Amino acid sequence: MKKIGELVAERTFLLSALASSSITVAILAFMVFMGLPLMKQAGFYQLLVKPWAPYQGSFGIYPMIVGTGCISFLSLVVAFPLSLGCSFLIATIAPKPVSKGLRRLIELMTGIPTVIYGFVGIFLLVPYIRELFRSGSGLCVLTAALVLGIMITPTMTLFFCDSFDRIPRSYLTAAEALGASRTQKLLYVILPCAKKGMLNGVILALGRAVGDTLVALMLAGNSVRVPGSVLEPARTLTAHIALVIAADYESPEFRSIFACGVVLYLFTMMVTFLVRYLSFAEGRRD
Amino acid sequence: MKTRILENFTVVFAWLAGLVLLSGVSLLLGYLFFKGHASLNLSLIFGDTPPLQALLLKQRVFEGLFPAVAGTFVLVVLSIAWAIPFGIATGIYLAEYAGPRVKRVLDALFDVLSGMPSIVIGLFGFSFAVFLHKHYSDRIGPCLLISSIALSFLVLPYIIRTTQAALEGIPLNIRLTALALGATRLQNIFLVLIPRSVSGIMSGIILAIGRCAEDTAVIMLTGAVASAGLPRSLFSQYEALPFFIYYISSQYADSEELMQGYGASIVLLFLCALLFVTAYGIRKGLSHFVFYRP
Amino acid sequence: MTEAIKIKVTDLSFSYRDRPILKNVNVDFAENSITALTGPSGVGKSTFLMTLNRLWENLPDADMTGTVEIKLQGRFRNVYAPTMSVTELRKMVAMVFQAPNPLPMSIRKNIAFPLKLAGEGNREFMAHKVEHALRMANLWDEVKGRLNDDARTLSGGQQQRLCIARALVLEPEVLLLDEPTSSLDQTSIAVIEELLLGLKDRLTILLVSHYLEQVSRISDTIVTFDDNTIIS
Repeated sequence: MKKIGELVAERTFLLSALASSSITVAILAFMVFMGLPLMKQAGFYQLLVKPWAPYQGSFGIYPMIVGTGCISFLSLVVAFPLSLGCSFLIATIAPKPVSKGLRRLIELMTGIPTVIYGFVGIFLLVPYIRELFRSGSGLCVLTAALVLGIMITPTMTLFFCDSFDRIPRSYLTAAEALGASRTQKLLYVILPCAKKGMLNGVILALGRAVGDTLVALMLAGNSVRVPGSVLEPARTLTAHIALVIAADYESPEFRSIFACGVVLYLFTMMVTFLVRYLSFAEGRRD
Repeated sequence: MKTRILENFTVVFAWLAGLVLLSGVSLLLGYLFFKGHASLNLSLIFGDTPPLQALLLKQRVFEGLFPAVAGTFVLVVLSIAWAIPFGIATGIYLAEYAGPRVKRVLDALFDVLSGMPSIVIGLFGFSFAVFLHKHYSDRIGPCLLISSIALSFLVLPYIIRTTQAALEGIPLNIRLTALALGATRLQNIFLVLIPRSVSGIMSGIILAIGRCAEDTAVIMLTGAVASAGLPRSLFSQYEALPFFIYYISSQYADSEELMQGYGASIVLLFLCALLFVTAYGIRKGLSHFVFYRP
Repeated sequence: MTEAIKIKVTDLSFSYRDRPILKNVNVDFAENSITALTGPSGVGKSTFLMTLNRLWENLPDADMTGTVEIKLQGRFRNVYAPTMSVTELRKMVAMVFQAPNPLPMSIRKNIAFPLKLAGEGNREFMAHKVEHALRMANLWDEVKGRLNDDARTLSGGQQQRLCIARALVLEPEVLLLDEPTSSLDQTSIAVIEELLLGLKDRLTILLVSHYLEQVSRISDTIVTFDDNTIIS
């Protein structure tokens, strides 16, 4: 009797694991299935490099890929130094109570809803950028990247701090015993040891930036042309999905968002496997 | 001498970065409260309807956020209800049953799922609804049910991971205690391992709740609309706080509606902060409650 | 020796992560006696104990060959036979670990825990059993007034006796102890040694210990491990 119970439980656990993990596969299958007619007709590669010109029958997502790339890269440029500095503060530079408080605060910041960043961005930053550069509406690559950069900084900082925390205590004690100051300990012991872990943090933050929808949708202006400068509007892959969703189900416009979906999916997969590979390499070294 | 400069520069740079981040975020929050504090009162939520009447569903609220708050609430409850059983069972399987090879494959799949942009999951939910609409019933379209299922996909990895990590973090000697006393594997899991992991699992669930409450991308594709009143059934469209904020930012007609947008942002912010603080508080010491039923 | 044999171990080899821990161990243990297992650390004494109640099966990457037979309920049984239930085996071959490991619950619930695992629901019977086990472990007088306190509030020595009482509550035939006194002070050690001597006529005790004094004080037989096998 007991044996049967054990077996039923094990099967139940196994089944729910299989069901949950099949979601990941099902999403890709669905994207490919729905997007297939257009991808066949135009060619997947062609979709990636052609412009978006519905009236000429071209539904390429090249401008969105460039838009996503620009905004994400710029947001990393904003977020990386900020995160580096903040994680330094938390790791050694700030006195203990300050560093503890700062860490709590930054943890709390990761919980601020995305839509609020977008909302405040529209009413606070957009008019300011418009005045400052006296060009366009203020909805542009720069605005989106600035807000996105602030948004991913807490996440990146926490990743950095985690990789600092993983350094064996004995290394730090050794450095302290040799008379290293807090800054010296950071620069010559912690940083070199944590490099790989920090790379992971940057990659994961990039994944977040690429995957974010609301900030770009609300702040980047959503033009379908390839942006010529950071002050021009652009559209990201994610925003494209959100904007085109209302089109007719059978139309090529609608089909094209599944190409965006596939690109985002493959990118996520790449990020995941890169991070897994790096942490695996790090784990083996220890 | 050169290293000295580098060290001093590092210190200045770190404090500067901290200052910039803090001022950025306090600007963001400060602006929100400065502009929105005036809208914070009961009529923000209930409009002209008496609150009690609205809560008892006796009168409809037209001017207030009540339908959006109620929509978000129902949405979160449903999504979490789908995600908890699967998430915990899967976490248990990964930590206690899976062999190394199976575990590696499943781990990779869940890592991909947890990194998935929410708009992709929303798109999946949307196309799934379209699929059902075409092949099964005209009545099914983007709706509360589809949204909650898609959201549960989004937060499933949180619950799986926290369950798994909590179980795997239990030291070997505790793992063996009950087994040495003749416990079966299942008894060991439910009588010793799970009770010790409750706080970890709970904090995962609360983070998942926060994620459900704030996510906009999934619901804007799967059935959230600007005005639907209170959610009536699983198959109806609904209003939600984050979608309302997004909608107002692009479509507001007058300054009164805009004020409502500020108010909604503050309400959502408080909600998420509260859940977040609870999750951190709970991580310590909750496991005691489980054993101390008198 | 005239005593009856309780445990027969034949050709036992054990490896962990492809590293041999035990090689070709052959040994018998006498009934109703205390046998001390000694030897330098890392030669597989603790592992050996785990092969007797099959607890090693919960370790990852471990492998074992050979046979273990224990006389249970009057007849010799191969503990690795497919018909042998692991949980039944562990109820008859109890184990106490090096560090006291009370579960985070009250003293009463800790002792009653194995009964609960076995599906016992009768409260009166359980209360009786709890008292009996605590008396056997010489702990009853110290804790009878606070059975509902958290077990972790006890002192180290008391905690270890609690664990022994918990192991005794199902009335096992064999008691395995893995350095049960190594984390305790002198007084507690003396109390536990006395307790073990008193238990000898009810069950068979195997004790891993590093302290030669302790070994000579309480054991009837000494088995020395070295080089991954038994040398005497």
